[in-house]
Amino acid sequence: MILYDYVLSASCYKVRLMAALLGTPLTLRAVNFHPGREHKSPEMLALNPKGTLPILQDRDTVLTDSADILRRLTADHPEWQNTDDDRWLAFASDLNDSLGLARLHDVIGYEADIDKARAAGVSALRKLEAHLTEQRFDGLIFLTGSNPTIADIACFPNTALAPDGGVTLDPYPSIRLWMRAIRSLPGFIEMPGIHRLHELAHPA
Amino acid sequence: MDWVAVGLKEDVPPGMVIPSRISDTELALWCTPSGRYHAWSDRCPHRGMRLSHGFVRGDTLACIYHGWQYNEAGSCEYIPAHPKLTPPDTICVPTYACAEAGGVIWVSLAGTDMPLPVLGGRVPIRSLQISLSAPDLAAHFGAHSFTTIAVVSDHEALLAVQPCTDRTCMVHALAAPDADRKVVSRWLEDLRATLEGVPS
Repeated sequence: MILYDYVLSASCYKVRLMAALLGTPLTLRAVNFHPGREHKSPEMLALNPKGTLPILQDRDTVLTDSADILRRLTADHPEWQNTDDDRWLAFASDLNDSLGLARLHDVIGYEADIDKARAAGVSALRKLEAHLTEQRFDGLIFLTGSNPTIADIACFPNTALAPDGGVTLDPYPSIRLWMRAIRSLPGFIEMPGIHRLHELAHPA
Repeated sequence: MDWVAVGLKEDVPPGMVIPSRISDTELALWCTPSGRYHAWSDRCPHRGMRLSHGFVRGDTLACIYHGWQYNEAGSCEYIPAHPKLTPPDTICVPTYACAEAGGVIWVSLAGTDMPLPVLGGRVPIRSLQISLSAPDLAAHFGAHSFTTIAVVSDHEALLAVQPCTDRTCMVHALAAPDADRKVVSRWLEDLRATLEGVPS
C-alpha cells in the first residue's frame, strides 16, 4: 500500500499511526504540500480530483478520506472497530474543521476566521472532555470502551496538535489521560508536535 | 493566600506532571510514584523550560530540555551532561505548599497555617474550566471568598474555584457520596452554560 503523505498533516498522521499500531507496512510517498502545493499538481489531481491528502493506493483502489482509510486498514482487525466509531469519525471531522483549521492558519498561513475556528475548537474539546470523563466514571479510558479503536486514532491528532493552533489543552484532565493512554500504546509513533512518552534511564 | 484547589487526585496519577496555575503563578504539579504531590514554579532554573513538559523519573522531576533532575525538595540532583558532578545547592526550583486531602490537590502560594478546607464527606466529581474570572464566579454565588463555594443543590455540590486568568477559572466540583456522577457532570455542563450566558 502506498500512502501519499505530508509529514505535518494531522490526517496523514492518522494513517501512519494506525498502520504503525497494526504493524502494517506502508510505502510513503512524500508530497510537497507546503510550500510546493504538489497535491494540486496534474499528477496528483489525476489520482485524487479533490486535491487533498492523504491518499491511500492499494493496487487498483484509491481512498482519499481518512475515515475510509482507517476502516480499510483495520478491515482484518475487528478489535480496532466498534459500532460507536461512526459518530466519532464524524466528530473527528469537526475537530479537523476547527482545531485543524486554526493550526493550518497559524503554522502555514491558511486563510481562516481564526477566532471562530478556535472557539469552535474549544467547543469540540469540551464535548470530548465531557464524554471521556463519563467514560472514566465507567472505568473506560478510550472513546468507545476499554480498548482503542479507529475512533480514538481519528480524534487524537487534531486534539493533540491543538496548541499549534493557539488552543490550550491545559483545562482538560480527561483528554490528557486519554492522550497519555494512546501515546502508551505499543507501536506508537510520533509526528512533529506529538512526542512519545519518555523512557529515559534514571541514573545508576 | 489561603489553600487553592488545583486539581483532583484522580486526574494526576502517580508518575504524572501537569501544568497548572494560580492567577499569574504558573505551576508544575506532579505526583511521585508513591503518591506524594508537589507544586513548583513551572520553570527549569537552567534554561527556563516549563517543567510541566518534563517527566517523572523515580522520585525526581526531570526537565525535558536537558534532563536536569530535581528531587522532592526541588534541589537539582543530577545533570546528565555532567554525570559525575554533584550539583550545587543553589540550583533549586521554587516550591509551594501542596497537600492532597479528600481527593483534591491543594496549593498555598504563601504558605499557610490554615487547616485544609472542610469538604463535609463530599467526593470529587470532575474539574472544568469556566470562562469567568474567579471573583466574578464568586460574586455570582454571593460568596466573599473564592477558595471554596458551597452550592445548595440536589447534589450537595461544592465548587472549589481556582483563579486562572482575568477571564477564566477552573472549578473542581465535589458532591454527595451517593450522587450519580454522570448526572452531576451534566449538571455542571448546564451550570457552565448558564454562567457563561450561552443557551444550553
